[in-house]
Amino acid sequence: MNSSNPRIVDFAVRHPKWVVGAALLITVLLAIPIPTARIDTDPENMLRADEPVRVIHSRIKDEFNLADYLVVGFTGEENILTEDFTHRLGLLVERIEQIRGVVADDILAPSTVDDIYRTPDGALVVGRLTDERTGWAEQPSIAAKVAENPVLRGKLASEDGRVVALYIPLEEKRFAASVAEQITAEMAAIGGFANYHITGLPIAQQVFGTEMFKQMGISAPMAGVLIFLLMLFFFRNPRVVAAPMILAIMTVVWTMGLLILLGFPVHIMSSMIPIFLMPIAVLNSIHILSEFHERYQKSKSQKEAILSTMRELYKPMIFTSLTTVVGFGALISAGIPPVRVFGAFVALGVAIAWLLSVTFNPAFAVLLPKKTLSKFGRREDSDSAMAHRLVRLGRFAVARRWPVLVGTVAALLVATYGISRIVVNDNPTKWFKPSHPIRIAEQELGRHLAGTYMAYLEFDASDTEDGSVKNPETLLYMEGLQRRLESLPQVGATTGIADIVKKVRYELKDGASDAYAVPDNSAEIAQELFLYEVAGGDPEDLYKFITPDGDKAVLWIQLRDGDNQAVAAMVAAAEEYMDSVPRPAGMRFDWGGLTYINIIWQQKMVVGMRNALLGSFAVVLVMMVFLLRSIPLGLISMLPLTVTIAMVYGLVGLTGKPYDMPIAVLSSLTLGLSVDFAIHFLKRGQEIYKRRKNAAATLEDLFQEPARAIARNIVVIALGFVPLLFSELMPYVTVGAFFLAIMALSGAATFLILPALLSLRGEKAYVPWGARSATWQERPLAAAPVSKEA
Amino acid sequence: MNARTLFLSIVFLFTAATLLPARADEASELMSASHQAYYYAADGGHARVEMTLVDKKGRTRAREFWMLRRDITDMGDQRYFIYFIKPADVMGTTFLVHKKVEGNDDRWLYLPSLDLVKRIATDDRGSSFMGSDFRYEDVSGRLPVLDNHEIIGAGQALDRPVAKVRSTPKDPKTADYAYRINWIDDATKLPLREEYFDKNDELFRVFEVGKLEDVEGIVTATERTMSNVKKGSRTLLTFSDLTYETKLEAKDFSERLLKNPPREYTR
Repeated sequence: MNSSNPRIVDFAVRHPKWVVGAALLITVLLAIPIPTARIDTDPENMLRADEPVRVIHSRIKDEFNLADYLVVGFTGEENILTEDFTHRLGLLVERIEQIRGVVADDILAPSTVDDIYRTPDGALVVGRLTDERTGWAEQPSIAAKVAENPVLRGKLASEDGRVVALYIPLEEKRFAASVAEQITAEMAAIGGFANYHITGLPIAQQVFGTEMFKQMGISAPMAGVLIFLLMLFFFRNPRVVAAPMILAIMTVVWTMGLLILLGFPVHIMSSMIPIFLMPIAVLNSIHILSEFHERYQKSKSQKEAILSTMRELYKPMIFTSLTTVVGFGALISAGIPPVRVFGAFVALGVAIAWLLSVTFNPAFAVLLPKKTLSKFGRREDSDSAMAHRLVRLGRFAVARRWPVLVGTVAALLVATYGISRIVVNDNPTKWFKPSHPIRIAEQELGRHLAGTYMAYLEFDASDTEDGSVKNPETLLYMEGLQRRLESLPQVGATTGIADIVKKVRYELKDGASDAYAVPDNSAEIAQELFLYEVAGGDPEDLYKFITPDGDKAVLWIQLRDGDNQAVAAMVAAAEEYMDSVPRPAGMRFDWGGLTYINIIWQQKMVVGMRNALLGSFAVVLVMMVFLLRSIPLGLISMLPLTVTIAMVYGLVGLTGKPYDMPIAVLSSLTLGLSVDFAIHFLKRGQEIYKRRKNAAATLEDLFQEPARAIARNIVVIALGFVPLLFSELMPYVTVGAFFLAIMALSGAATFLILPALLSLRGEKAYVPWGARSATWQERPLAAAPVSKEA
Repeated sequence: MNARTLFLSIVFLFTAATLLPARADEASELMSASHQAYYYAADGGHARVEMTLVDKKGRTRAREFWMLRRDITDMGDQRYFIYFIKPADVMGTTFLVHKKVEGNDDRWLYLPSLDLVKRIATDDRGSSFMGSDFRYEDVSGRLPVLDNHEIIGAGQALDRPVAKVRSTPKDPKTADYAYRINWIDDATKLPLREEYFDKNDELFRVFEVGKLEDVEGIVTATERTMSNVKKGSRTLLTFSDLTYETKLEAKDFSERLLKNPPREYTR
């Protein structure tokens, strides 16, 4: 065995104070920019700003003046649009108009929207829905009028009037929380608003941002405390255990500090960086501690113990870190900016954790007062209950290697079946727990209204013969598409310019039964839209569906279900219609709406993650072959992580849990973490074999300290992240559950499959290629491998 | 404080006290004169009007129409008739208004494509005039008696001396503004500029006269712009082919006129 350590470790042991001081100084310096973090909770930013789908979405929003709305919904047991309540509502809207950040002119409320109707004496009115309403009892109820107006139907009130909604457009999304707060205050001041919900994408995003901070502020430190307690349980020495904790905190601070210093916003993805880094950072330390624990009482010299520990662990640690860097670094190839930032900075964090493990850890160990260590490692480690169990587990895996291997194959088959059933789906609203007020509001309003998710389909007639959408051919085409879409269960309503034309025509013709139809000539269409304006209707109402020039029109598609799957099915149905029914020549179309953006980034996510996983799998395999200098051993080392990933995703498929953003990203973590166990197990197996020169004895030894270190890691990481299960945000819950599953599965795979396979290969198992060729002639089963490197 | 300044202060206070009600009367009279000059010049007439609507993104739309007016009495009821020329697809659409000082106006619209006359009920004078930034009230006039008027100073508009009058609605419910400032031309009494303020004292609408022309001896505003400061949109009205000769009598402003406008306008 080579007695010299890499220079970096030697340096740390020789200048421990300098190393610890420098590490602390850098930590303090990098902590400074953290409070200036920019938070970005906009799901749109899952895609680059210049991504075509986003450019088109912004253009449609801009062209048709579509704002981000705050939705204030009211519910009741019966029609709540009574004279009294409508009056209160009108009062409330007047006050909301004064709130800073509200686009007062564009508020959609019973008292602000125009309705088209006829007076009893047959005059046409385009006027406020609730204006000048005398004799409430004699007139059709407001809810009934809403139900008869295709533009308002399903948006402003349910047909029975049990649900009413106000749509408050915001100048900018950042006003959402303060506007919501002031609306709540105004409601309290006016009184009479019992059951209300405030929702809508802008508020959901802001609440999400706040919750995200809470998670970073509460869950991550809680995980830290739990990890600390678990390590304390294993090593019984708070001062020694402090080292990995300090190291984990420093890793997180350095990484987040650099992220913020380099000007990256903290997105939902990057907010999870601390939670990912924490377990990875303590992984190496636990190995170091375990080894140091065993060696200290033998040598009684801190320097001696730590140097020999580092000698043994230096190589495995480089490789476990490198493979994790590869696993996360592969995410940089994904087309989703927040995922790339996440991958890059977790990779950077892993590198930082490694650097600190080989410098800070030994320096800290040397600096510990001798007194502190007097009892450290006294207790015979190999005598614990866990130790005995591990030894039995190892013997079991060897004795029952065939059942173990057959079981592995069976598990892989089941997992493959499960993977084939994976449903790719996501919905940013469902990132909140079902009990969250935002989810409840979404459900309450979605049940009675036509849904709170919106997609836009724009038709561009600039290149058609007459350059206008104001002709019967186009309107009939759009109307046909509307009918097709409305036959889908997830579509609550569709609204387009044809609906306004038809409504005007119907009222113009005194409600004749055949009047509710698209006119057969362009002049009539133009004149009916013109009438809407001349009669006092707000032209802005029209421009939400047609451009002032009439060269473009947009269909509003209101969905009850915002799941990407439901939206994608709607898009497919629309495009199928457009493929089969000929469009007016030259007519182009484009999709917009956040729901549409979501399905695009999800597609990118699925493809990107699969490629990243396959790519990093290949790279890690090559790395393992070179690390272990053995193709068979390299292949074997990939088995535990393959089984783990297959089973985790098989479980996802079998339980019907949709494959969403956090689940996609976790594949990298699985790869990074579970290969670590195999590296430690096999690399150290090779080291032990060099000493013991006997395969069976090597396996016995492997189930001593190395297995204990691995088992400690499994327990610490799996249990350390239990606090995440109680988060308000589903992505965090998923991550917490995944940590548990990954640890349990890859632990089992490492302890069962590796010894089973190793015992099958017998004496050949640990021999690297250089050694085998050197000894091939004399003794095929080399007893003493003479690797020049080792 | 010496005797002289004390004396001057007393004189000033007295003058101010006696002057204030006088100035309020003066203001009301000025606003009435302005209303008469702007909305009731001669007994009527016609003009070819180009209306350009510019939205906040700078997108423009052009409309063109003939507008005929006939007064029943000065400062009283009026008849308006509008014949649309542009855009091409609404050409021939006509609009008739019987403006009433008391009660709601009567309005009818004729759509040539359907050959249909429809009565339009609007009790909301604050609603937009044909989708523009002008409101019906801006086109047909708001009665001066609905507001309290106060002269607040003098100034200049279009290089002409003007009196500035602040008008505050007596009943806030009758207007969409909290108060407005009128720039009234000293010579012609025409409003050359109006600024509308909301409850929060914020300017939200501005009316401006861009050009004055002598038409048959009557100074007339031939370019008028209404800007919605908050929305960022504006509407420009340009008058041409102006005359104050009236060929149609009040009784001619009937449903028949909607379907059969005089040939000179339809050419």
